[in-house]
Amino acid sequence: MQVFFTSPWVPAEWIKAHGLEPRGIWFAPQFAFDSLPLSAGLCAFAHAAVRLAEKERESAVIFTTHCDQLRRGFDAVASPALAPVFLFNLPATWQTPVGRQIFISELERLGDFLAGLGGHAPSCGELLETMTHYGLARERLRGAAAGCAGRRYAEAVSRFHWDGSCPPAGDPFFRSQEGPSPRGLVPVALIGGPLPRSQWDLLDIIERAGGRVVLNGTEAGERSLQPAFPLEALRAALAPGAPGTPPSRGARGRLEADEEVEGRQSAAIPPASKAGCKPALLEALTRAYIEGCVDVFQRPNTRLYAWLKERLAARGVRGIVLWHYVGCDLWRAEAQPLREAFGLPVLLLDADEAAGGSLRIVGRIEAFLEAVS
Amino acid sequence: MNAPRKLTLAEWDAHYEHLSGAGLQQPQYGGRLSRHVALEGDLRLRRLRFDESPAALRLWNFLLTENQRLHEARAGGERIVGAMKDLGTVPVMAYSLPGLRAFYPDGAWWTPCLMECSDGLLRQAEALGIDASFCPVRAMLAAFQNGEHFPRPDLLICSTGAVCDDFSAVAQRLEKMGFPIVWWEMPRRRAPGPGEPARSLPGNLSAPQIQVECVRAELERIGKLLGELAGQPLDAEALANGIQKANHVRRLLASLRRAVYASPGAPLPALEMLVAEMLAIHFCSDREESIGVLTDLLAEAHGRIRQRRFVVPEASVRVFWVNPVADLRAMNLLEDWGGRICGSDYMFTHALDLIPEELPPLEALARAALADPMVGSTRDRARRIVAECRAHRAEAVVVSRIPGASHCAREGAIIQEVVREELGIPAIELEIPPVCDAMLPALGSRLQALLETAKARRRA
Repeated sequence: MQVFFTSPWVPAEWIKAHGLEPRGIWFAPQFAFDSLPLSAGLCAFAHAAVRLAEKERESAVIFTTHCDQLRRGFDAVASPALAPVFLFNLPATWQTPVGRQIFISELERLGDFLAGLGGHAPSCGELLETMTHYGLARERLRGAAAGCAGRRYAEAVSRFHWDGSCPPAGDPFFRSQEGPSPRGLVPVALIGGPLPRSQWDLLDIIERAGGRVVLNGTEAGERSLQPAFPLEALRAALAPGAPGTPPSRGARGRLEADEEVEGRQSAAIPPASKAGCKPALLEALTRAYIEGCVDVFQRPNTRLYAWLKERLAARGVRGIVLWHYVGCDLWRAEAQPLREAFGLPVLLLDADEAAGGSLRIVGRIEAFLEAVS
Repeated sequence: MNAPRKLTLAEWDAHYEHLSGAGLQQPQYGGRLSRHVALEGDLRLRRLRFDESPAALRLWNFLLTENQRLHEARAGGERIVGAMKDLGTVPVMAYSLPGLRAFYPDGAWWTPCLMECSDGLLRQAEALGIDASFCPVRAMLAAFQNGEHFPRPDLLICSTGAVCDDFSAVAQRLEKMGFPIVWWEMPRRRAPGPGEPARSLPGNLSAPQIQVECVRAELERIGKLLGELAGQPLDAEALANGIQKANHVRRLLASLRRAVYASPGAPLPALEMLVAEMLAIHFCSDREESIGVLTDLLAEAHGRIRQRRFVVPEASVRVFWVNPVADLRAMNLLEDWGGRICGSDYMFTHALDLIPEELPPLEALARAALADPMVGSTRDRARRIVAECRAHRAEAVVVSRIPGASHCAREGAIIQEVVREELGIPAIELEIPPVCDAMLPALGSRLQALLETAKARRRA
């Protein structure tokens, strides 16, 4: 069964470990935008998620609380007659223990929901295996970010959110370490809300206009890859051969292959009680997501700025394209603070307006790039 | 005996002379209403009509002197707490400690209305990057920046999580402008799962125990900060005492709402009731005085009901109103066009419900905070609206959209759907900007159509 999730801060590995198929909504072919009356103030992304939940009755959809529109979109579809839906409470605060407490309880509740869909509670081995796989894939994609730009990177990250896949080690994707702005293209950062597959034309438009997205800070872009697991500590949570807990032989083989590529040594797994391993893994999962979450909705959202600061400087970014949806106050409010914080020009692009690459949007991007080049 | 009237500002001045001559007793902040136009630039008052009672005069003077009273409190050595967004929780804690005075900077959202935008706050907010795509609460940002309205708080506390995005974004912008904020997490309230430990909440709601515990932990953290500010810890006894006093205010309001909304005609106008309800959230910065103001209003309402003297006649269509109006004049207009308010949800029904006094105080406050209609499902909110519509025999429902407010994009349709399904009464959604004069024809035709539809149902 497919389980669509609407935020990268919902742990896909938790869904996968339950034997279901996590699907980042950004890559879904059936994820389509309706034209909406602007006066309604509806966010096209949240509305499309609602439509998907209404249509995909054989799948499940996980909404999150991180924005008003998705939270209330859930209210619109939360009906037994429609597809099974779940609202994951993503805490906005991160500096106190309460956020972690909320997150871990949401994981447990999500686990019950997934079991109700036909999933199974994962063994520690299954969970560890899945977490390791996702952790390594994220690490590789993060590592490739500086040298892989534009549409190719957006596609790779989005595909990861779709099926957990990552180009194999040795793939040209990882080898082609391009300069930040080949052919004299102007390096820009694309920051903001979700950029689903149907809107990737924007990346081409930017390139055709003489720019290159060297930092994809949209919702399911590079910033979504921050959750990282301390793999050694995770291994320590499992005892080899403990009943019901070891990773499958095939899976372990795959992990070891992954580790070889990463130049890692496979560490011995020290003993751990079966009862103790799952809370430790859940804690690790929670910690990774709470500490790795870099988003505009967090209060305070200083981590987003710290994350951007490091990368904007390292990649020589000359301008920021701020991508937001109608009704998305969270991103729209950041336009001026971004200008003030980084001293870079910011082009505010309205997602609804940009769809289809209108002449107006092309003209605005061209003018912006000309101005910052 | 004549029916009580609603007076223009000029009529009130003449009436004031008459009352003063007859020995009208007023509190320190009393005086003519028209002085607020001259001294504070509250131009909108010239367009409003006010209840003629001394109780209403006291209410308006209390409301319109809030900033002045806050400055006086600061000058008198009190510490000022800016509570943001939770609408009814942190002030209960702050007023439990001596020397603290809490208010909601959020209230600045009415300043552009009261000053008919002559304050320039919305324009200034736009210059700060917060334009008209945001709710008028953005006025708060400029009010902090220019310091011309309320005093700069000694401590700013803002709830976040399941709150309006507009507010959260504006508050985040505020923090970046150099106003440090203490954030506390408000989870999105959900129904307890099967077999999950649960706790009952005010308003006939329930929530999982884990959520109550999280909110309680957050409030405990806030309580410590308030205690440090006051120089005295906020212990259980002090908080219990504060809760009792807050409940005193809430009981008075409950009596007032019951008396006015259940009455055949309205003994007090919708506008004064809206202002009175607002007292629940932070006591308009003076808890003891808010008790006096409400007591007077309640006495006035009871007196008029006994004498069957109604400021809005019995034939008026009974309307349940959802969300506060950005322009206060809208409440006058509803009555001018043949409606009356028989119930309301101005987004803080949790501040109207009693805080349980039989529980440990922090637990009680956490439960009350979680009952906030805006942190739960819109369907939960709609169910309460339906129950109150039934109780007060509402004939129509108005969902008042707040321009730019993120929650309004979706909630109106859900509320309307539930109301129609459950009650079968007409419901509409209206957007009311801070100064609605330019929209009067459109507003009038929509409201009148609603009221006519409701009247037609009487005949059917």
